[in-house]
Amino acid sequence: MKKLNFLIVLSVLGFAARAQNSSFLLYSFKGNVSVVENNIESKAKVGKTMNSAATIKVGPSSVVTLICNEAAMFTLTKAGTYKLNQFGDSCKVSSNSVSANYVKYVWAQMTKPSGSAGSNRKAYMNNVGAVTRGVNNIWIDPRLDTVNYSGGEFPLSWKSYADAKEFDFFLYNSSNIAEPFYSTTVTKLKISIPAFTSRMKPGETYYWVAAVKGEENDERKVLNYVTKETFNTILDSILKQGAQFEAPAEQAYRIAFMLEDAHYLSEAYQYYSKAATLDSGNALYRSTLMSFKKDYEIK
Amino acid sequence: MKKPLHKHIGQGAKRVGRHFTKYLYERDTIFATVWVFIFIVGLSNIPLNLYVLNPLKMGLKDFDYTDLAYAELKKGKDSKIDSNIVIINIGHADRELLSMIIDKTAENNPKVMALDAVFYEPGDSQPDSLLSASIGKHKNLIAATKLILSGKDGDTISTSGDYFKNAATYGYVNFFSDELASLRYYDPFMKDYKGTTYNSFTSAIIQAYDPAAFKKIKKKEGKQVQINYERTVDKYQVIEYENLLTGSFERKAIEGKIALLGYINRDPSDILDKKFTPMNERFAGKSRPDMNGIVAHANIISMVLGKNYIKKVPSWVNLLISIVVCWLFMSFFIRYYLENHIWFHLVAKVIQVAAVLLFAYLGIFCFDEFNIKLDMKLSLIVIIMAVDVIYFYEAWAVWMHKKFHYHTIFKPHHH
Repeated sequence: MKKLNFLIVLSVLGFAARAQNSSFLLYSFKGNVSVVENNIESKAKVGKTMNSAATIKVGPSSVVTLICNEAAMFTLTKAGTYKLNQFGDSCKVSSNSVSANYVKYVWAQMTKPSGSAGSNRKAYMNNVGAVTRGVNNIWIDPRLDTVNYSGGEFPLSWKSYADAKEFDFFLYNSSNIAEPFYSTTVTKLKISIPAFTSRMKPGETYYWVAAVKGEENDERKVLNYVTKETFNTILDSILKQGAQFEAPAEQAYRIAFMLEDAHYLSEAYQYYSKAATLDSGNALYRSTLMSFKKDYEIK
Repeated sequence: MKKPLHKHIGQGAKRVGRHFTKYLYERDTIFATVWVFIFIVGLSNIPLNLYVLNPLKMGLKDFDYTDLAYAELKKGKDSKIDSNIVIINIGHADRELLSMIIDKTAENNPKVMALDAVFYEPGDSQPDSLLSASIGKHKNLIAATKLILSGKDGDTISTSGDYFKNAATYGYVNFFSDELASLRYYDPFMKDYKGTTYNSFTSAIIQAYDPAAFKKIKKKEGKQVQINYERTVDKYQVIEYENLLTGSFERKAIEGKIALLGYINRDPSDILDKKFTPMNERFAGKSRPDMNGIVAHANIISMVLGKNYIKKVPSWVNLLISIVVCWLFMSFFIRYYLENHIWFHLVAKVIQVAAVLLFAYLGIFCFDEFNIKLDMKLSLIVIIMAVDVIYFYEAWAVWMHKKFHYHTIFKPHHH
């Protein structure tokens, strides 16, 4: 038992020592990057080696690339303060077995369907025959600018021209549209508004943007987080505009249409759904709801 | 009583083994093997290019199975950064700026500096004076030159690209290979008809940096050396000249090292001074050059300093392997041809595909594990040809039997 305990302690110490002994090489940087070592902050310099006790500060719109243990390269693109000991995982170097990779490669090639441009147009339509002039890789539907929102489930969505797997979502205060006060990385081409409403105050105007991870996009879109009172006032005025003998489904459809026109998209979605539910046999209500869901990537 | 599993496996292996060996020592097997090589020699000596309209052959002219090791099997991905070398990216710096870059690099005491840029003609007088002064001032600077080969045998050598004549040492930057083919080999030295030896850019650097490593590469004088690529640009410390001139770098990143001053651009669309290498992610078909010339030089230096040469298996070993392979497979094919002819073509095709996969793997494995370049191409060719040669051999053996009572296991129209 003593031997076992000794072995466990030894291996834990071994792991700790390994994690502690990681060395980091500052490979390159752009913008404002500084290094804190022994409580002394200094400007980043290419070729600087640091141990895992050091901290690195990355300013806004700055990038720094580090190499851990002379082999594992990783890049920090988001502004913030990072302790290097948190990058233990980034120091792992995958031991590539050529034999295993060969078997995987042969199998993948043998089982890969032979696609051609004619048979899979979606996959082969990214070959653009034109130059770009400052167009970013993200397209946001102009209808999502401006969005008035008081509550409910509704996504902000975008389209990507790049074959990207991750996207950055940034939310800005109207007082500072240079620095996002909230950012997150998502893997889908949309983010649900309720996912960040806790960070917003009703009655305030915000700006949002999505970008391919690591890229920039300066086409800010407006998101007005309106109070319930403001929304109810608008809803009342819409209700008053109805005809005398309006069926509930007709009323819901009209409200939805007028709310959509007023950019209350989340609320419009609720009323379109209501209209389609109240008169489920009405093809117009059903098709409008389907189109609305498709347009705004509501699943 | 049921047999244990290992006995089943053992018996299965024996049965397969018998398929290969049943006709192994038959005279027909040996003669058919000989005929395969006669055909290969005959076909390879036809003085016409029969592949003139064969796109497959043309497309794969520059293909080597070992390229798969880099492109698909991630060879070199685990390589560590080479701490002997630092690359200073000179970008599009003009001559005046180059002079500043050289002087600033020299201030940080590199053991050797090497400028990978050639200058064919005079420029403006002031920048030229500054650059000339910088080149002449630093005795540890190696300048680039281009060799011009002329004369009937190409052994009259002159130099160009060395407009500034006052460098302490020059090294030639030519790679004697097709510009549109993968850069696999380089000449560490060139000798002219008078016996004057010219050092390549990398050999000159190594001579100044590590005389022991230079002695080793000097033994390869007169030979082309295969480059053992192990690193992409990300496996070398690169300092942008802006960072160099503003002092945004650590002195120890340069001090005591080989400082290569060359052009780096990571934009795949920028193909200035970029070469095709076996590290290209697309190993066959149309592609873009993937590596800046200075990184190719750096890989050569890493290889020589690390004594990491690729050992090429002699041609006679490759020939011997192919003879043994041909003999074994001929015996196997003849067995199916005579005893299970209905399955012959199916089995032959399956075996050919399996052999391609196996031999390609063997070549890649030896290359990756032991840096040994084993050429299995001939072994593959003999397996492919063996199937067709059997038909010819059968006709020949039957004819010989009728004419000269040649003893054969093939019977007239046996199938």
